[in-house]
Amino acid sequence: MHHHKHQDPAGRVVVTGIGMVTPLGAGKEEFAANLFSGKTGVAPIQSFDTASFSSHLGAEVTGFNPRDFISVKNLRRMDKTSLFTTAAARLALQDAGLDITPDNRDRIGIVLGTAFGATDVTAQFSGTLLTQGPASVNPILVPNIVMNAPAGHASIELGFRGVNTTVTHFAVSAETAIAYAVAAIRRGTADYLLAGGVDILSKFYYESLTKFRALSPQNGKEESCRPFDIRRNGTVVGEGSGILLLESLQSALSRGRVPYCEIKGVGMGASPTAPTAWPAEPSGIKKTLRRALENASLRAGEIQAIFAAANGDRILDETEARAYEDFFAGANPAPRITAVKGATGESFSSGGIRACALALAMGKNSLPPSVGLSAPLSELPFVKEREKADLVMTNAALAGISFGGSYVYLIFGQ
Amino acid sequence: MKKRIVITGLGTINSLADNVPDFAIALREGRCGIGEIDLFDTTGFRSHTGGQIKNFSARDYIPREFSIKRMSRADMLAFAAALEALRNAGLYPPPQEAAEEIGVVIGGGAGGLLEAEDFYGRLLTTGRENKFSTLSALFCASSADRIASAFHFGGPKATLMTACSGGATALGYARDLMVNGHASVVLAGGVEPMCRTTFAAFNALKSVAADYCRPFDKNREGLSLGEAAAMMVLEELPHALARGAKIHGEILGYGITCDSYHMTAPDEQASGAIRSMRAALQDSGLSPDDIDYINAHGTATPVNDAMETKAIREVFGRRAYAIPVSSTKSMHAHTLGAAGALEGIVSVLALREGFIPPTIHYQEPDPACDLDYVTDGARRATLHAVLSNSFAFGGNNTTVIFGKYSERGAADASS
Repeated sequence: MHHHKHQDPAGRVVVTGIGMVTPLGAGKEEFAANLFSGKTGVAPIQSFDTASFSSHLGAEVTGFNPRDFISVKNLRRMDKTSLFTTAAARLALQDAGLDITPDNRDRIGIVLGTAFGATDVTAQFSGTLLTQGPASVNPILVPNIVMNAPAGHASIELGFRGVNTTVTHFAVSAETAIAYAVAAIRRGTADYLLAGGVDILSKFYYESLTKFRALSPQNGKEESCRPFDIRRNGTVVGEGSGILLLESLQSALSRGRVPYCEIKGVGMGASPTAPTAWPAEPSGIKKTLRRALENASLRAGEIQAIFAAANGDRILDETEARAYEDFFAGANPAPRITAVKGATGESFSSGGIRACALALAMGKNSLPPSVGLSAPLSELPFVKEREKADLVMTNAALAGISFGGSYVYLIFGQ
Repeated sequence: MKKRIVITGLGTINSLADNVPDFAIALREGRCGIGEIDLFDTTGFRSHTGGQIKNFSARDYIPREFSIKRMSRADMLAFAAALEALRNAGLYPPPQEAAEEIGVVIGGGAGGLLEAEDFYGRLLTTGRENKFSTLSALFCASSADRIASAFHFGGPKATLMTACSGGATALGYARDLMVNGHASVVLAGGVEPMCRTTFAAFNALKSVAADYCRPFDKNREGLSLGEAAAMMVLEELPHALARGAKIHGEILGYGITCDSYHMTAPDEQASGAIRSMRAALQDSGLSPDDIDYINAHGTATPVNDAMETKAIREVFGRRAYAIPVSSTKSMHAHTLGAAGALEGIVSVLALREGFIPPTIHYQEPDPACDLDYVTDGARRATLHAVLSNSFAFGGNNTTVIFGKYSERGAADASS
């Protein structure tokens, strides 16, 4: 049932642009330079005081100037999620060489994933309401409370009027958004779709994560983000936006654009899991990976690289590693695995940023290192810290795994 | 040939009724579910009314075998409606093998904000820390996770956040998933709980009516906020036929567009709404002549109703005056993230049972709203295709077209 061939160029979905605002920089040049040289965006949080919290690290976006990307008229109305999204969307459109005109604007849209939305605005609005009463709330904040605000603001600033959807699905929000966009392009309801994710850091949100014991150092030892490492003790939360510009292969060819890569297959799945717990057994991952490969008409041995979901959590990383040990047991060679959340932090909608990283990696035939990983929990062929992994990639997988038991795998091909 | 996606189960809880058969009766009788709110203190707000679900007790709907620990009101409403839809579809308890292929797609709204407000208010006013675990159901993706985990559904999951069109977008995306072969059955719908923050937001924008909403009336002054959960079981036709499921109707197509105009005000030129309806017609393979009833977005804000009327005139031409158009929000209020799914159920009931639900509270005609708004009670009618509009903050527009199920072509589809 999941087996679908998309040989028809109108039904093949390709990536022709990428745009990102991340702790490793904004725009693909800065982002790629920092990512592939093993720099990290993880540092003590500067934008609010963490003194009373049990964690202090974060991967913050710094040095981002919205005026470089957004008109002053619209900028004033935007919250942080909208600023990041609109800037990343503009970068992706520019990168794809796509100008929005009255002729094409109704066929261009956005599908955006966000795990938590504008946590800063909601806390501010609700806080005023709950402490000072209904008469004191600021109506100017209202438009930015809704989770679809970033997609709406981006459409107003950039002028596209086609499909416009916002998806929330915890840690697989961006992967789910990309899956939705692939379906829409295949179905022909849009010619060009921006697809990716956005999430931000804010004080009450960060405090809540520490109370849920979601963050390093869960064991009281050194605070750090170490995906797949035996010393890992929780994740470090990040922020940012990463957005792909998707179109059909036919459309890209007719515009004379050379795509970064193709999205060959999509797999989605679920397994029973407690609401805030990471999955502790690997069956959901394996099932979803199998669906994605079937959807792409590929075998396990045809995947050369995986951009992992691992974020330094004790349970998540263990489950993901066990799933790959089982799934690729017969594959020779097994795919190389890199976990970029050690550098970007866990923004929960990080799938957008990681998809951009994957597109860059396919172009370079090189994998970025897993910052923080030096003592792996398994024999799997990880790309460790300070390692450079040049390899020819025909196909690579983007892993999306969420607490609550949700999985999305996207298969990218040359 | 395009895959046919049919509706085999319906479930709802809203201010008019806590199940689908009673909801159908309320719609036919033109009852009003809008009244005084007692879920929270409305002192200091412009409005004190809304379409609240009164005396909701989760255990009246959710059997003890399912834990409701840390569920939000939204989670519980969604769960109750999901159970009714699954029972109605003959999928409860879910057959083990089928469950692996069942997806869940929900249009979300405020999620667990009502409970989070209690927590956050206490934290801010007393400085006392209480259980942060209260926040575990704050975000609206929680409802889909709780439902999928409880029933061991292993298919795709998603929560769509296009504000007031989320429920409609969820139905459309669920259909996409099946058309693209990612699932054969999807539980799809929407949920919206009332909460202080949403109530304050709409009051702050001065877009609520003081008493109750009057869609398309000259003196309309705003919407009435409501809450609801509305779920449908959507299924590939061959799958439904193979298991002998009763078929309530069909999703023929949907359209989704964006105004690119203003975050909270609709584009008075109605471009987004026009394109949304046209995209849905095109996706359905129908012409304007095929539509027998329009379930309007009809919020009763001065701008929306005039804009939507203009859009309908533009899309349907002279025929606009021959198509009954009603806003059932006049009865069940505006249920935001659930609205598209709830009004989807209204559309399916209208098709299946052969009636057009009315617009109630209508008194004085508005020259800018000159269509047939079904203001004199429900009508009997044989319907074949119903168009349902949902427009939202952010300039999001979604239109879904539902069809009466006919066995014609079913044999081809199942071969």
